[in-house]
Amino acid sequence: MFTSREIISTLEMLKSENLDVRTVTLGINLLDCAGKDLQRVKSRITESIMDLAGDFVEVCDRIAQKYGIPIVNKRIAVSPIAVVGASFSPPQLVEVAQSLDAAAQKVHVDFIGGFSALVEKGMARGDRSLITAIPEALSSTERVCASVNVASTRAGINMDAVLLMGKTVKRAAHLTANRDGIACTKLCVFANIPEDIPFMAGAYMGIGEADAVINVGVSGPGVVKKAVERAFATNPSMDLGSVSELIKKTAYKVTRVGELIGREVAEQLKINFGVVDLSLAPTPHVGDSVGEIFQTLGLLAIGVPGTTAALALLNDAVKKGGAFASSRVGGLSGAFIPVSEDLNISEAVRDGHLCLEKLEAITSVCSVGLDMVALPGNISEETISAIIADEMAIGVINNKTTAARLIPVPGKKSGDSAYFGGLMGHSTIIAVKNADGDNPFLRRGGQIPAPIHSLRN
Amino acid sequence: MNKAIISILGRDRPGIVAAVARTLTEHMCNIENVTQTMLQNEFAGIFIVTMPEGMSAADLHGRMVSSLSALELHVYSKPCEGGDEDCATEKLEPFVITTKGPDRKGLVAGISEEIARHGVNITNLQAVFKGGNDPGENIMIYEVDLPATFDVRTFTRDLRAKAEALSLEISIQHRNIFEALHRV
Repeated sequence: MFTSREIISTLEMLKSENLDVRTVTLGINLLDCAGKDLQRVKSRITESIMDLAGDFVEVCDRIAQKYGIPIVNKRIAVSPIAVVGASFSPPQLVEVAQSLDAAAQKVHVDFIGGFSALVEKGMARGDRSLITAIPEALSSTERVCASVNVASTRAGINMDAVLLMGKTVKRAAHLTANRDGIACTKLCVFANIPEDIPFMAGAYMGIGEADAVINVGVSGPGVVKKAVERAFATNPSMDLGSVSELIKKTAYKVTRVGELIGREVAEQLKINFGVVDLSLAPTPHVGDSVGEIFQTLGLLAIGVPGTTAALALLNDAVKKGGAFASSRVGGLSGAFIPVSEDLNISEAVRDGHLCLEKLEAITSVCSVGLDMVALPGNISEETISAIIADEMAIGVINNKTTAARLIPVPGKKSGDSAYFGGLMGHSTIIAVKNADGDNPFLRRGGQIPAPIHSLRN
Repeated sequence: MNKAIISILGRDRPGIVAAVARTLTEHMCNIENVTQTMLQNEFAGIFIVTMPEGMSAADLHGRMVSSLSALELHVYSKPCEGGDEDCATEKLEPFVITTKGPDRKGLVAGISEEIARHGVNITNLQAVFKGGNDPGENIMIYEVDLPATFDVRTFTRDLRAKAEALSLEISIQHRNIFEALHRV
């Protein structure tokens, strides 16, 4: 028997605080579809997706109704296409992306991730073809997401790949210039990419995974914010140790819900359950924002002095709560700070509280990186590469995942607005300082070696 | 087994359970199950007891009334047929139905009637009506067991329609989500 307080607090979390399952992501291993005959590979990919994901969305909807909790997105992640389609040319890989898109549409999923390459230590022919194909692939499809892992703590940073990604991002933006460069919202450049992220655009099916897997992404920034607000109302002098404890307990609850849903989807589809990724993933709606948590904690806005410490507290408490709630916690698990996807964060950019330099600084303690950052359209490829390289260095040296999802918005300058729509949101374009002139450092290419694992100061 | 079920009602005060238990012990009865609750200031307790051979529920009722009437407690008794072994063996799925909405007459009747029409058993009910139009002040929580093979969609649809007719906001959720959120 539950107390009325338990029942009511559950309903509050679901109805007023935007607790939801942000995504259930079905990982599908496509490695057995590899081959040299393009038509055959495409049809085998489509068959695999249709076989495994035919009932996927319906099962998710049924379980969402059973528990009264929204499952906002249903997505698919596939094996890295750079491996599956290693023998193909860039135009052929664009065709593969279009097949993925069509299959995703048939099974009614929102996104399909895995148009990906892992090149942290070097680029194979298939990797190079895939990266070349990314701009056309993303601009000629709606649902396909791409990711490229260019760095890792074990391998260092592949600066040739970083340079190539600057070009790729710029071209993807150019090909979707009429939509503010929206193709770039579906492209992530990573250091230390996890194999089991359920969130887009970084989801792909890891090489070390089974035939299929269900990973779940749970969100809940609104739940955390309300919990802190209520606690401060009861105890205005609450210290930060107690705040951390409170966030940890809240994260614990949210993770448990994710595991419940993930296990049931997996059971009904007769697929292994993978992980719960407990990430505070915001949407462009009031009350569903990571940025608002900073204000609740007492900061004027995200970006002002104190932000890095507050985010460190938040990210760590979320991870601890998740780790206690489930032994299947994975993915990114922490706090996201995607600029355009979080109304409050994009307002902090507009109001001048958050600049690119501070944003980069706080990515050293968040769970992802420079995410959904709209940049001036005239930024050079080299400067994009340089920003990516800086972000990768933070991940590599600190032994964590970092990513860059940068959108140079064609024809717009800093201070203008960029609009991406839906959960991608909208944002004020952030200024990039000191980016004029030549940057020969980037053009040298090569590999920045893996960092030393002792003398860690 | 020779069993009786006894219900005790009365104004709540310290010592009611002790008085009932003492009386049962004096008459050689063994308590098997007991549950008690309070609604506002009123006590309600239900006891299932094993009686000695030869004692009837009516005998026990008489002895309880004479012992407890001084405490102004009302006693209701009847023979208890069957026991735990009678529990349904069909697999059941526990759901929680919650309603919120302005207070008015007939809310419990309306919702419980709809639940009964589908042959669903209510295993626990809590309802608080403080009156007025604040939905948060007027809440009903039904715990129900649905057979695993039950048509949940039709049940949910009908219940939502009934709730709407009564101006109630309704949630129908599997119990496990509350377990996940609140129980380690």
